[in-house]
Amino acid sequence: MTQAATVAQDLTALGFVALGVAMGYRWYRDRGRAQGMLAAALICLAAVAALGRIPNPPLVLSIVNLFLFMLSGFFVLLFRHEFVPLGRTALYLAYALLALAILVGIVDVLAFRNASAPVAAILGVLIVAPWSIFVGEPIVRFWAQSNSLPAVQKARMRFLSAGFGLLIAVLFIAVIAGAALQSPTGILLTQLVALLAVPVIYFSFAPPSLLRRIWRLAEENEIRAALQDLLIFSPTRRVMAERAVYWAVRMMGATSGFVTDAEGNVLATAGIDPGRVESLFASPPESVISAPLHLTEGQGKLAVVAGTFSPVFGSEEAAQLAGYANAVAAGLERARVTERMAALEDNKTQFLNLASHELRGPVTVIRGYVSMLEGGLLGDLNDQGRKAAGVMAAKVSEMNELIEQMIEAARLEEGGVTVHAVEIDLRDIVRSAAEMVMPMLDASHKLEMDLPDRRVRVRVDPDRTRTIVGNLLSNAIKYSPEGGTVTCQVRSRAGVARVVVTDEGVGISREGMATLFTRFGRILTPETEHLKGTGLGLFLGRQLARLQGGDITVASVEGKGSTFTLQLPLAVVPPSPDAASSDGGHEVAGSTPRVVTMPAKSPTSD
Amino acid sequence: MIEPRSALLKWFPDHGGLGSSGAPGAEILPLRLKGRQRPAIHVLMIEDDSSIAEMYRLQLEHDGYSVSVATTGELAFSTLSGSAPDLVLLDLLLPDRSGFEVLAALNERFPNHPPVVILSNYGEPSMIDRGRALGAVDYLVKSRVTPAEISEHIPGWVAQGRGRGQKDS
Repeated sequence: MTQAATVAQDLTALGFVALGVAMGYRWYRDRGRAQGMLAAALICLAAVAALGRIPNPPLVLSIVNLFLFMLSGFFVLLFRHEFVPLGRTALYLAYALLALAILVGIVDVLAFRNASAPVAAILGVLIVAPWSIFVGEPIVRFWAQSNSLPAVQKARMRFLSAGFGLLIAVLFIAVIAGAALQSPTGILLTQLVALLAVPVIYFSFAPPSLLRRIWRLAEENEIRAALQDLLIFSPTRRVMAERAVYWAVRMMGATSGFVTDAEGNVLATAGIDPGRVESLFASPPESVISAPLHLTEGQGKLAVVAGTFSPVFGSEEAAQLAGYANAVAAGLERARVTERMAALEDNKTQFLNLASHELRGPVTVIRGYVSMLEGGLLGDLNDQGRKAAGVMAAKVSEMNELIEQMIEAARLEEGGVTVHAVEIDLRDIVRSAAEMVMPMLDASHKLEMDLPDRRVRVRVDPDRTRTIVGNLLSNAIKYSPEGGTVTCQVRSRAGVARVVVTDEGVGISREGMATLFTRFGRILTPETEHLKGTGLGLFLGRQLARLQGGDITVASVEGKGSTFTLQLPLAVVPPSPDAASSDGGHEVAGSTPRVVTMPAKSPTSD
Repeated sequence: MIEPRSALLKWFPDHGGLGSSGAPGAEILPLRLKGRQRPAIHVLMIEDDSSIAEMYRLQLEHDGYSVSVATTGELAFSTLSGSAPDLVLLDLLLPDRSGFEVLAALNERFPNHPPVVILSNYGEPSMIDRGRALGAVDYLVKSRVTPAEISEHIPGWVAQGRGRGQKDS
């Protein structure tokens, strides 16, 4: 058993020496102040452990050993000082405590070699207590700080705290229990616990990849959950980059990170000032790993930076980050395209709006003078002049209609269209729409109206509905260049009123159907390309019909003709006056205008 | 009620087109126009675009109105303090201030100012609402109406303004 205890003691000493060498080597490779402090603490501890194995040491060696031991604790405090600076007073106090402990130690070695057990215990406590304070305070501090850190960092901090905690426990037990632990079993136990501290401390600054992976697991589950938000629902590229770097830092247990675009502009940072990124580029320390972001405009960069505390990024992290960066790059691309599309859409609407309003000015003047010419206000015209004035008036009206349609389309896209709905007989609207198109009819065309005898009560915006029907009728005439019969039926059934406009014209091809109701979606064929139109009429018609709870549908046979159907909801039959007053909240079809506002960019469909 | 001449112009006439305002007392005013002793209706046009102003002036003077034109808000105020027009036609885009500002200032400085009709290139519902809230008797989009249509409407607007003035007093 004694032999086992000796082996344990030797092993522990060897473990600490190895730890000291490893830490020293790390510091040699990557020299930071904090790293240096931790290396110094562990090297001192290694020296203490090694010197402790020399049998019957001379007095000088004992004193040197004591020095090294106290310094090992003090360096841990300085290591902590690098992270969370101590106050001036606290630092002076620490120095005083260090001096006192060393003094007590020397006195102990020189004067109390054969002191009684209680005195030895008291002296032991006076030496170990300052050491424990030096080490214990950082343990508590790191543990507390680790709570706010991401999983990987947290685990590292806690491992370091736990390792030193084990050492303190071993020392206190050894000093206080004193002779009770001098038995081989006791020595074996304490040595084993002390030995346990070696890997724990080592793992805190150089965790094996398996351990890192385990630590990361908790984060990865969260990241998986957050990835959807990150990639699909980030509203802008910048927000997406910010989220991406935040999660990269968490996942890697880094202290900071950044994302740059192809030109090297910083898109987002986490835990670091954007201005400092430049300096990181200038002299990249070993504690930075970066992964390329393959963007359309070139290669960007997603990088994470390890802090002063234990930079261990292995190939494992690099591979992980590269995979993550690919997802981020795809997301950034999507965000860029979406942003560009939105900007284009916005520009287009603005242009449409501006251009159409600017056009109104000159049109006003031309239209005004032409009407005055026609009216004879500007003098008498001969026959040709009158004819010319008539043509000009018709053309400028066409132009004006186009402008109005453009403005209405722009307004629809901005969500600024309001519908003034009143209860009205649909037959009246259809009749006046038919009157509107009468001038378009020539000898070859016939317009047949098929209206029911009973009222068809709908609740719509009369002007806009008249426009929709008028547009359907004028299209029917326009796209029947060979002439023929245009029929306009009004029907009501199952709560829905229908205006069905049928022509015997050129019809619509299968491909044409797809673009029929889109903005500027005019179908140009040899038969129709000479016809004028903006391609806005049906787009506006359908949007406005939907805005009023209806729709426009179409059926067509190419070469045979088309049937357009406008559907509108029938007005609710007004209840008797008492019923109306009994449930005031109920929507009643009355004669007071109701304003329906369209929700931005989403036409109300059924 | 006057219907816009062109059927095609009926795209959304509720937003600044003619045809919605029934004018109480519209029958009386033509009488005033015909009355020989009475002076012609005086229309003040606040409009900075001379081509538009000249065109309207041609039509209105032909129809027997007397017309003065102010090209800025400031000039309009000095005209108003000098003489009292029967009607103000107000453009919204002026060099020195917006027509809305002019109208607000009118309400403040000349509480009994003549009826104001806004004539603008813009017909956004929000602008129409704002114009009406500031007390304009009508809001027209220029490109939707011909000078003759404006001319025909003037007696009605003047009557409307007078009706409103009686209610206020």
